[in-house]
Amino acid sequence: MAILLSRRSNLLAVVVLVLCQLFLYAAVSSSGSVLKQGGGEEFSEELLLKPFPDRKVLAHFHFQSRAPHSSSHGRHHHLFPKAIAQLVKKFRVKEMELSFTQGRWRYEQWGGFDPLSSNNAKPPGVELWAVFDVPQSLVDVYWRNLTHTLSGLFCASINFLESSTTYSAPELTFKPSFGNLRYGTLPREAVCTENLTPWLKLLPCRDKAGLSALMDRPSIYRGFYHSQRLRLTSSESGSDEVDSGIGLEQTLTVVLQPSSWRTGKTYSVETNIQPSWSISSIFGRNIPGKCVIAKSSNVYLHLDNGLVGELKNLERENAKYVANTFESEGFQSNHAFKISVTPDKVFEEVDYLHGKSTSVIYGFSVEKYSDSQPFDLGLTWKIPVVWSCQQAPLHASRFLMGSGNERGAIAISLESTESSEGLPTSHIIDGRCELRVDIFQVVPWYIKVYFHTLQVFVDKQPRAMADVVDKIRVSPSKDKVSPGVMEMILKLPCGSKSAAFSLEFDKGFLHIDEYPPDANQGFDIPSALISFPSFNARMNFSEDEFLNNSPILSKFQETSPVLSYTEVLLIPLTTPDFSMPYNVITITCTVFALYFGSLLNVLRRRVDEEERILRSRAGRKAGWISQLLSRLSAKLRGRPQEQPTSSLPYSFISFRLVLKILLVASIAVTWQYYFG
Amino acid sequence: MMVRYKMYNSFGLKSLAAMLLLLILSSSISYRASAETTMHTNNWAVLVCTSRFWFNYRHMANTLSLYRTVKRLGIPDERIILMLADDMACNARNKYPAQVFNNENHKLNLYGDNVEVDYRGYEVTVENFLRVLTGRHEAAVPRSKRLLSDEGSHILLYMTGHGGDEFLKFQDSEELQSHDLADAVKQMKEKHRFKELLIMVDTCQAATLFSQLHSPGVLAIGSSMKGENSYSHHLDSDVGVSVVDRFTFYTLAFFEKLNMYDNASLSSLFTSYNPTLLMSTAYYRTDLYQRKLEEVPVTNFFGSVMETIHTDSAYRTTFSRKTSETIMPLQQSVEHDESRQLINSNVQDQTSDTKIEDKQCPFTRRWNAFQDKLEKIERIDSLVNYGLIIMFPLLLISTWLSR
Repeated sequence: MAILLSRRSNLLAVVVLVLCQLFLYAAVSSSGSVLKQGGGEEFSEELLLKPFPDRKVLAHFHFQSRAPHSSSHGRHHHLFPKAIAQLVKKFRVKEMELSFTQGRWRYEQWGGFDPLSSNNAKPPGVELWAVFDVPQSLVDVYWRNLTHTLSGLFCASINFLESSTTYSAPELTFKPSFGNLRYGTLPREAVCTENLTPWLKLLPCRDKAGLSALMDRPSIYRGFYHSQRLRLTSSESGSDEVDSGIGLEQTLTVVLQPSSWRTGKTYSVETNIQPSWSISSIFGRNIPGKCVIAKSSNVYLHLDNGLVGELKNLERENAKYVANTFESEGFQSNHAFKISVTPDKVFEEVDYLHGKSTSVIYGFSVEKYSDSQPFDLGLTWKIPVVWSCQQAPLHASRFLMGSGNERGAIAISLESTESSEGLPTSHIIDGRCELRVDIFQVVPWYIKVYFHTLQVFVDKQPRAMADVVDKIRVSPSKDKVSPGVMEMILKLPCGSKSAAFSLEFDKGFLHIDEYPPDANQGFDIPSALISFPSFNARMNFSEDEFLNNSPILSKFQETSPVLSYTEVLLIPLTTPDFSMPYNVITITCTVFALYFGSLLNVLRRRVDEEERILRSRAGRKAGWISQLLSRLSAKLRGRPQEQPTSSLPYSFISFRLVLKILLVASIAVTWQYYFG
Repeated sequence: MMVRYKMYNSFGLKSLAAMLLLLILSSSISYRASAETTMHTNNWAVLVCTSRFWFNYRHMANTLSLYRTVKRLGIPDERIILMLADDMACNARNKYPAQVFNNENHKLNLYGDNVEVDYRGYEVTVENFLRVLTGRHEAAVPRSKRLLSDEGSHILLYMTGHGGDEFLKFQDSEELQSHDLADAVKQMKEKHRFKELLIMVDTCQAATLFSQLHSPGVLAIGSSMKGENSYSHHLDSDVGVSVVDRFTFYTLAFFEKLNMYDNASLSSLFTSYNPTLLMSTAYYRTDLYQRKLEEVPVTNFFGSVMETIHTDSAYRTTFSRKTSETIMPLQQSVEHDESRQLINSNVQDQTSDTKIEDKQCPFTRRWNAFQDKLEKIERIDSLVNYGLIIMFPLLLISTWLSR
């Protein structure tokens, strides 16, 4: 406007003024279109597919939305879900992660070292943690309200996490926090369509267009593992302009078994050939083009380093027969497999640490596909390939010991895997090579863990606790108030093959009202979280412009510790016979009724009772007055202490009547005589 | 209230009772008269499956079938409270993950892509059920889990599970008794949480669950009479369990023929149940319901109306309009001549015996009343004793006066 005015003052000609107005109009319209395109909000959708060594396929959907801080744009959003924005604002959520999982991530087969498994392998049921931007005294209140809201939003019983017996506040191991983090899990929570639907409704295209159109419910829930995750990060608009706002990351990780009908006939005898698959064969649908409001819409095919190494070995062996090489042809059509669509990009991981083979990611852009020409990526195997995924440094498992319904012990065992053998030298501290392991475990209050019974075994030899445990934080459970929380930071010697920890516990008793309806099934102890902070689950790609635009790949490049969850434990508790109280009450009441009934009958029975009743009945026929009088007389005889004269013997009703009238009259006369 | 106090002073106990009765009757009649003139303004559905465990698959299928029907007939998801006690769709034993069928032909997946379950699993308890009905929630409970009905709402309450004489089992561990249900409904009535309520129950001995109901505007239908069982319709050998109950099956058969605009009446629904096919007698209780069943379309409960409010100024006038509406019915009927005549005629019919008594002189009337009372009193001897005790102060007073 200022420019316009200055120009107006400078130039007097009307033509120029018109020109200026035109210029202004153009400027306004162009800025308007910029606003309309995103309003600072952006959304991107990506899908990563990955074959697993055990003939399964991983599909990992990644949707990311971002909104600038709401104060700058009022309460309206273009792409960002309003429900989430309101939730963040109302409950002052700084960071939150909610996951619904069914099935168990198989760390041995599906890998435990890469960022995918560290970020997306989750414990069964619901896991929720949140960091609040409120004073510590208010955190619990905000947590409770948040659980209720989320339960309404996602059709789940997350509101059970409001009870203080279900959530805890980890400090050391889970995430560095300052007392405003709360963590809770519901291992038994069912996960089904009704949880996925509201999650999909947060996407701007829902499941109508784009990659999310693939989500055919029966094929997703037929899978071996599915985990739907929602992660929120919000930062106040302040100094950092780029990072301020709310980021919402929604991922769905599914492990599916492709049906092997497309396997070539020549290999039908071979049992270890990988099943060939395509998007349409595993989901029953195709990708009908991109979601039009998405900034980017990409599909990736990820071949992990084990597979690539194996393929390279095979290639080296067959080099004399097969002409094409891995580097030149981009690998999409070689001797081992065939990709049905030509990839737009190929990313190779740059691994400085191991120097071994590196993983390869093929990128496909969905933008040029449409309804008439849907995107369908297929992978056809030509020869059998056997490989294994990279494992976490230690494989963790947890189990129960002991028998009976009185006591037992929980044991966590860590077994070294191949990847910990080639430990980098950077972990040598003070001349000693150490492996840092963090363990975070929450145990419900009715499992009364005795923390002093903690025993440590390294390489099957008992060790003193101080040798191995660097730091430990324990908050013992309080009955019906809080769960028992144990956080440990361990320093294991490098060469150790295995480590084990055991804790003894007593099983508590619940009140009869506290038992769930299916108490006979047993009670769940939530998964323990094992993390290896000295290892970073990240992939290094050579610097590329495209990588920064792809949320999935930039996520892979972020530094995050290697995490793994143990199994959920099922503990049978003593369950009462729920019909017992009813039976006891019924039997006791019967016995009491019989006993006291007969006793009272014996004590209270009078021999002349029946005669008296008969007499009174006869008297009742005599008329109203006599009936009344007879009742009166009966009353008088029944309570002799009330009237002094009642001790006199009666034989006849009329006589008693006369006597009574005389009594009243005499009282009246004496009264009159003495006081009148 | 002033009117009542005045009457208390002028008349005796009996007449007071009669007048109170009259007042209540007239008010209810006037309410009814106004109710007949105005349509309900919104529809709600509370659908409850109370059974846990895989072998009770059919109960969840029943509930989901009803859910699908009411959704198809127009009740939106935010006005349906769906309570499912267990997860059958993603149960490990379900051969068809994320699908629930109510027929062995598997043509219809009830657990489609858009199911919104409000209470599930351990949340389905008697406490939560009664909280939903009466609206007494914790402050933090989200709106999607509340029954936000008002005095213009028609509510469909469907329950299925295992029941018995005057109770319905929840989760195989606790019971909802007929008294609890009646109390909850009465509380709803007092709180103006519904205009009309249709309770539909598919359990064994379902009719007994209604025996304690006494709130006006309630219509109840159950799958079986006292002493009868409700049976499942057929077994699906692929799923491995029975998939639907007979009563619900034939209810659905009736509704499948309908669309949103059909005018099938409630009586046609009620008469469609064939006891030989049901293997039990469908029982419906209409004595609390004022309208004629022939005139009420089923879509009054299974379908939906949406009130559109025209406002000149945005969002402001709706609130005041609503509050005025709550007071309206009584005043309207008083002003309305026809309805007043209706009141009078009805009152004459029902309170004729009290009118005859009114013609006698007040003393005889009171004496008669006293005599009646006297006959009713059982503990006559205590009365006599009290009489004797009363004589003493009389004596004292008389002597004091004569002195």
